[in-house]
Amino acid sequence: MRIEIAYILISIFLFLSGLFGVIIRKNLITLLVSTELMLNGVNLGLVSMDKMVGGVEGQVFALFVLTVAAAEVAIGLGLVVAIFRLRGYESSFEITQLRD
Amino acid sequence: MEWLIFGFLSIWLLVSVFGTLFLKNPVHVILAFLSVILAIAGIFLHLGAELLAGLQLIIYAVAIIVFYVLVITTIPWEKVKKFEGIYKREALLAVPFLLISFLTIAYMVLKGSFAVSGRVIREGNIQSVGKTLFTNYLFPFEVASVILLTAMIGAILLGRKEE
Repeated sequence: MRIEIAYILISIFLFLSGLFGVIIRKNLITLLVSTELMLNGVNLGLVSMDKMVGGVEGQVFALFVLTVAAAEVAIGLGLVVAIFRLRGYESSFEITQLRD
Repeated sequence: MEWLIFGFLSIWLLVSVFGTLFLKNPVHVILAFLSVILAIAGIFLHLGAELLAGLQLIIYAVAIIVFYVLVITTIPWEKVKKFEGIYKREALLAVPFLLISFLTIAYMVLKGSFAVSGRVIREGNIQSVGKTLFTNYLFPFEVASVILLTAMIGAILLGRKEE
């Protein structure tokens, strides 16, 4: 077994555990941290694929994923702060409507 | 030696992932996520992607973690403490589905064959990534700057106080 395949298995585990965190978490901030885990899993898979195939395109895609992660955390945490300021709570099962 | 480094980094990564998933306090969750990021930067170095390891340290471990901590300090602490923990029933329901999908994807990865191009990169990692980024992928690079600008404007609009 090559070491890149082992890293691809690790990256699949990382992605699925991020999905598990998105399903089970109550707090909105920790839910966003779980989505960051999913993005990290995708990055790890791209880079290990890149080592296996022998190119640099996967690393370029991982760079774009990093950009999307920065944009996502800015917008997501802005939404969390806005929900808290409007409503005064921040649990994931209490947000059932988008406006007042 | 290679498998020794792999074992060390992957055990570190798995322990930090379980800490990120199951710790109660949000500050502890963010510290465990910082440990995940450092482990992934080590894995990138091991895989020979030095540019991405540096960018992982700069973007994730500095910018994103600091942003999470900043948001936690702006929200009152008793509201954060009120909704901590996990949904037990959903966790029990989700485990078999995720286990089955992990086994399916792992079976496909282990049994499938990968297309191997016999390309050998002679330049350094940063040089080849930079050449590819600024020749073949120049247009997506510019689009990424537009995405960042849109996210900045959106965050300013969302974080504005209502008059």
